[in-house]
Amino acid sequence: MTVNNMADPRRPNKIFRYKPPNTETNPTLEDPTPDYMNLLGMIFSMCGLMLKLKWCAWIAVYCSFISFANSRSSEDTKQMMSSFIISDISSTQRNPQM
Amino acid sequence: FMGRYNDDFDDGEDIAEFDDNDFAEFEDVSEDPAVDVEKEPPPRAAPSSTPIEDDEDEATVENEDGQDEFEDADAQDQDMYSKYDNEEFEGYEKTNPSFKDTLIYREVPAHLQNSWESYYMEILMVTGLLAYIMNYIIGKNKNSRLAQAWFNSHRELLESNFALVGDDGTSKEATSTGKLNQENEHIYNLWCSGRVCCEGMLIQLKFLKRQDLLNVLARMMRPACDQVQVKVTLNDEDMDTFVFAVGSRKAMARLQKEMQDLCEFCGDKPKSGAKYGIPESLAILSEMGEVTDGVMDNKMVHYLTSHADKIESIHFSDQFSGPKVMQEEGQPLKLPETKKTLLFTFNVPGMGNTSPKDMDILLPLMNMVIYSIDKVKKLRLNREGKQKADRNRARVEENFLKQTHTQRQEAAQTRREEKKRAEKERIMNEEDPDRQRRLEEAAQRREQKKLEKKQMKMKQIKVKAM
Repeated sequence: MTVNNMADPRRPNKIFRYKPPNTETNPTLEDPTPDYMNLLGMIFSMCGLMLKLKWCAWIAVYCSFISFANSRSSEDTKQMMSSFIISDISSTQRNPQM
Repeated sequence: FMGRYNDDFDDGEDIAEFDDNDFAEFEDVSEDPAVDVEKEPPPRAAPSSTPIEDDEDEATVENEDGQDEFEDADAQDQDMYSKYDNEEFEGYEKTNPSFKDTLIYREVPAHLQNSWESYYMEILMVTGLLAYIMNYIIGKNKNSRLAQAWFNSHRELLESNFALVGDDGTSKEATSTGKLNQENEHIYNLWCSGRVCCEGMLIQLKFLKRQDLLNVLARMMRPACDQVQVKVTLNDEDMDTFVFAVGSRKAMARLQKEMQDLCEFCGDKPKSGAKYGIPESLAILSEMGEVTDGVMDNKMVHYLTSHADKIESIHFSDQFSGPKVMQEEGQPLKLPETKKTLLFTFNVPGMGNTSPKDMDILLPLMNMVIYSIDKVKKLRLNREGKQKADRNRARVEENFLKQTHTQRQEAAQTRREEKKRAEKERIMNEEDPDRQRRLEEAAQRREQKKLEKKQMKMKQIKVKAM
């Protein structure tokens, strides 16, 4: 039966601000999926453009979608859009072969 | 006289320049074949002209097809004329039985057709993309609703315990934002602070990646569940020195290997929880028996027993530094920084098929967290326990220092060499010759002094040894 139980446990004078966890010291905390997918998307879209393989371009579009879905909200959306656009452009080209 | 028209069609470019006059010859002989043949070249001319413009290679293919067309037309006419002169056309293959009714439609290569079938690959891909986008929107919304439901059910408890509920660290003043921070489409966190017995509490709602279709499909093979992770950081006076963990057997086995502090301080295999009255499915890792007895009081046992299915792991530690960091160059040079921490990981029941209503089920677990914070503050080891704990910590530090001794020596050596090199460079870069000489002399004097000091030390050691 201590006074503590009745008293308000809140202490406004003991407030600490939120510090986002430093992911450089803890690389295990980070999810590498969006970065991998971004890279794959770039590679496939370049392949699709250079080798004129349509399926490469389509895979690139999928990769960029997956990367976008898994991305962190702190990342720049412009960067994401640029990889989107590159892979989209290469996939919408009317290539003769499949 | 059929041969003449064959020659005409040998020259590829001429096909496009046809007009009806070229077929005057046909018209005289009979209406039908003329009409049929007439119909053929203009439609053939139209599609064949476009490939000529686009691609030289295409045009030649086209021309060959066109030629076949006319050869067949010729064959049809041959049949008609066979009545007149069979011998003339001996050896000519009569591939078509009836020329009046049937027209041979050549297969137009897929990439030249303008019908839907040629785009089946594209349609398939776009459908897939649309499905992905739909799943993204649905998954994102579901996660968002789950997070909001969790927060709504826990808001009261948190606000009555913490002065600051919700902070993203960016605002100038420390005021409660009263909402979750969205890190991702599947991770939400909440920072609470301003309470006795602790520095702050970070709650992370780690939902499944419902917004990623690939992940949804992968989960059909390997079921997983949403997790709620609570990390309470404590001030030095809020916790005595001990390391303790309890949780599912699998989690304990994994944590003992992964976590730096559990690995160093809790060397024994996880003990079954049955000894302390908690279900068999839970295992305990502890630095010493006294700690376990201290933590496992009746209320705690009650909490653990009634919510055993939702508890993944509970980890109390004054030496918490996170998982073991694998470094390429061998051991790290400095002991990792430690912080007094209570870490709770809860599984949301339902294995992924959770609805917002289920979030209320987690409320008792948050009560347990609050109770643990208060309990840990009161839990003090007796004298014997404290001595043991101090010895353990000293042992760990000594081991660490021993292992890194050679590396630290090497590091110190390289640092000294770097300093010397930097000084020499400074002397070299000095433009004024006088100043250069003076700096060199100063450096030499310093070197001499160092040597003398060393010699003195050696002498002292020798004297002592004697």
